[in-house]
Amino acid sequence: MSNSIKNIKQLELRIFFLMILSITLCTLSIQDVTAQEVKKNRVRLKADYVKVMGDDSYFDIKASAKIEKKNVPVSNIDIIIYHELNDDQIKLGTVTTDNNGEHRFIINNFNTIKTDTTNTYNFLISFKGNDAFKKAKKSMQFKDANITTEIITKDSINYISATLRETSTDSLLVDQSLNVQVQRLFQSLRIGEEFNNTDENGTIFVPIEAGIPGVDGNLIIEVVLNDSDEYGTVKGLVKAPIGVPIVDESTFDQRTMWSPRNKTPIFILIFTNLLIVGIWGIIVYLISNLFKIVKLKS
Amino acid sequence: MNAYNSLVKDLAPKKFNKPSIIWVLFLLIIIGAGLIAYIDQLIKGQEVTNMRDYALWGIYISNFVFFVATSFVGSVTVAILRLTNNEWRTPLVRIAEIISVACIIMAGITIMIDMARPDRLLNLFIHARLQSPITWDVIIIPTYIVISLLLLYFPLLPDLAILKKYYAKTSPKLSKWYGKLSLNWKGSKAQKAIQTKSIKVIAIMIIPVGLLLQTIDAWLFSTTYRIGWDSTNFAPYFISGAFVAGVGALVTVIYIVRKVNKLEKYITDFHFDKLGKFLALACLTYLFFNINEYLIPAFTAKKGEAVHLKTLFTGLYATLFWIVTIGGLVLPIIMLLFKRGRKPLPMFIIGVVVVIGSWWKRYIIVTPTLLHPFLPIDGVPESWHHYFPSLHEWLITFATLAMAFLIITLLVRYLPVIPIQRTADEQKISVSEKKSES
Amino acid sequence: MKNNKTNSRRKFLDKGLKLGLVTAIGGIGLSKITSKLNATTENSSEDKIELMTTDGTLVQVDSTEVIVEKKSQDHDKKYNVREGMPNRKFVMVVDLAKCKNALKCQIACNKGHYITGDNAWMKVYEMQESKETAPYWMPMTCQHCDQPACVTVCPVDATFKRRDGLVLIDNERCIGCRFCMAACPYSTRVFNWGEPGQEITLNMNMEGHIPSPEHAGMPSIKGTVDKCDFCPHMIDKNKLPHCVTACPNGVFYFGDKYEDTVTNGEETLRFKKLLKDKAGYRFMEGLGTEPSVYYLPPVDRLVDFEDGLDKYNKYQSVEKPE
Repeated sequence: MSNSIKNIKQLELRIFFLMILSITLCTLSIQDVTAQEVKKNRVRLKADYVKVMGDDSYFDIKASAKIEKKNVPVSNIDIIIYHELNDDQIKLGTVTTDNNGEHRFIINNFNTIKTDTTNTYNFLISFKGNDAFKKAKKSMQFKDANITTEIITKDSINYISATLRETSTDSLLVDQSLNVQVQRLFQSLRIGEEFNNTDENGTIFVPIEAGIPGVDGNLIIEVVLNDSDEYGTVKGLVKAPIGVPIVDESTFDQRTMWSPRNKTPIFILIFTNLLIVGIWGIIVYLISNLFKIVKLKS
Repeated sequence: MNAYNSLVKDLAPKKFNKPSIIWVLFLLIIIGAGLIAYIDQLIKGQEVTNMRDYALWGIYISNFVFFVATSFVGSVTVAILRLTNNEWRTPLVRIAEIISVACIIMAGITIMIDMARPDRLLNLFIHARLQSPITWDVIIIPTYIVISLLLLYFPLLPDLAILKKYYAKTSPKLSKWYGKLSLNWKGSKAQKAIQTKSIKVIAIMIIPVGLLLQTIDAWLFSTTYRIGWDSTNFAPYFISGAFVAGVGALVTVIYIVRKVNKLEKYITDFHFDKLGKFLALACLTYLFFNINEYLIPAFTAKKGEAVHLKTLFTGLYATLFWIVTIGGLVLPIIMLLFKRGRKPLPMFIIGVVVVIGSWWKRYIIVTPTLLHPFLPIDGVPESWHHYFPSLHEWLITFATLAMAFLIITLLVRYLPVIPIQRTADEQKISVSEKKSES
Repeated sequence: MKNNKTNSRRKFLDKGLKLGLVTAIGGIGLSKITSKLNATTENSSEDKIELMTTDGTLVQVDSTEVIVEKKSQDHDKKYNVREGMPNRKFVMVVDLAKCKNALKCQIACNKGHYITGDNAWMKVYEMQESKETAPYWMPMTCQHCDQPACVTVCPVDATFKRRDGLVLIDNERCIGCRFCMAACPYSTRVFNWGEPGQEITLNMNMEGHIPSPEHAGMPSIKGTVDKCDFCPHMIDKNKLPHCVTACPNGVFYFGDKYEDTVTNGEETLRFKKLLKDKAGYRFMEGLGTEPSVYYLPPVDRLVDFEDGLDKYNKYQSVEKPE
């Protein structure tokens, strides 16, 4: 009897010991995990929706984090883009941010994506998190708008007329501020006023100043609804030969002192070659004289 | 012994004596040290020099300019004196030609040392741009080397034939070499005709080519915007400077060779007197161009020029500038105006002073200009505001000078330093006299 | 007998507990190890990629075995590197009224071109024409002159002037004669006197990058010359040069003269109008080099000259890594 009690007691002790051991181990490993969590930084996701008429729509995704009080781009992280519809999440794609923490995600087949009942598109971009950063997500809602553009010439002045409509209801959007600009290499150049508000017909009518240069006289005029809360950014483009043709003024094709060797100035070519041929011709004659002397044996 | 034989005996090259051997060994040691320094430069890059982004050219370039200038002596002595019918030049021409050859070869080598990528040397030929003054330099230097060699070689032919006979018994191997190089010279009328005509052609041609060489050298500097270089005066300035350096070198080497080879009978006080007047003419011409170059810009004192001249007259480079100008140019002129100054030993001293002065003059032309560009020297270490050559640069520069001396020494060892045949012709000594006397 | 049964039961329980503990520990350990492994191979999928071999057969290859080669920088060049971008002429406008000597331009340029030497390509000079006139800060890079002295004197065509106005350097051709440096009146060229050692000191990664005159300094080569290139490697991506983007005061405007538009990242303006309104000029115009960099005079200055003095370092323009 005492033996069995002893045994039971031993067993209980062992069980107790083992439980303590396993609990400490578990808590240690959990601590480990949470310790990592504490070191991780927060990622801020930003997505701008841009729609270019007649071209693709895209999201300009930017990931940044505040590390040591400075905003630092988060590069090389994977971001998944979802389309949310009626509690469903449809994965549209995965992208990796570049060295600047950015990526442009082109939305393929935008017309196949459906809106919800309020004609709003719902998107979600999410980052699953990694060793250095916590997971993050950002949702976007917007309605689709479109801009139709036309160039009208009246009394030899060129005007751009643009109409802003909401796509799903085909209603005209009144009193929205549109920017009119001409496409340039780095950033577009503004034409007209800073604010061009659409009238009751959802239209703006802006004169385009003369004397804007373009390749072969072609200009690409942009009408932009910039960063609207409801519609994102919508860009309408129109190409028109209403600019001043560019004239190449470079000296690249000419023979100049700074041209490559295949375009040496004629004067230098002739003068130096004449000198070289003249002098070396005489040298060759002199060396041939040496041979003549050798041959004359007596 | 008849006149002809004694002439040949006097003028034939002699074997090296002990001092000469020590001299050659000394040169070889310097050249060796320079070679090691150059290999180090090839491995590490030109950071072993003290050149940096502002003092981007240093003594490699001023040494190069010195060699180009000194190589002008061939054109001057042989050609110009010939065209002006100065017959006293005869005993001096061979040495002048030798110095020319040595210096222009060393100029070609020295400029390659300054290239930071000598492994891409061929680009200078494959991708050459005729608009660049460096390309003109690349064309003119080999041309001048060839012409100088021809100028040395053609008059040498009869002498080589004479030496072949002279050494036939004592040094048969040497005699054979002389024979080969003399191109079967028999002294026939036909051969003489070709030789005389050729020498005439070379003598005429070498003058414009020599002038072109000095001009292109000057244009390496005056085709830039830099203060102190952007001068319309530069080409004649360099030509007259070459005149001075060349004749100064000639005087120095003539004196030494005369002493070593015991040629006092052939190169007399008369020759030194003439050379002295010639050198005085050179220095006066150079002085005139110096005045144009340094005094006239002070008249309008445009800011850039004023700064540059101040550096030279009273600033950082003042000591060097005045030593070079007064000591290297004005004093020699004064001394050479007196007959006593034109005696052999004083001439030698003046020659040495002129040559060293010429070397440092080119340093003054290259370095100060680079150290005051249009925009302030900014954002670079303090050491970049100055330039003094590093050990590597000195070793390599001395090696090039030693190499020039070595070439001269070897040519003097194996070639008759005074044209034998020509001297015989002038003194109307002929081989036939031997027969008449015996 | 009961004892035996109890004993065996105990033994069984005993063993069972021990086994359970071992499993638990092992399980935790394994999960840790596998999570570490997973972290490194997270991106690898079990997918196979279909590829075509050189003789036309299709093969299935593990995606983990496929190495993606970075697209070469000049693969899709529609223009010759020595000729340049068609229909463009690049100009820069520097607004001296705004410059505070923040030197962010210099830092960005040094970083973007992995400069290891002691001489930066972008310098900001203290300028004062005469005692009575006011001092100001003047940023200066290569002026990409239309009549470049440096190009004229290069003996081997290593530096060249393009149709789009840029003056670039082919570091493979340069022989290191430094004539271009002697010819440049703006002191803007720097020389690699020794081994630049960028891959060591700055961890420059050359993987997948083909050297080109369009990205100067990648790599810098010993014994050749370097200078500002107006960042064609950024222009190619429709981005502004490093200095323009880095300036916190909007001092630099960059653009295409043919388009008559320059921008500093914030404002986009008509080039000719900007020069006219603010009396733009070029530095040392009298030399006749026809530079592509225009300066707007330091009128109505936003800051005092003296405020820039604390950033001024006469003897250093390139920050060295510790």
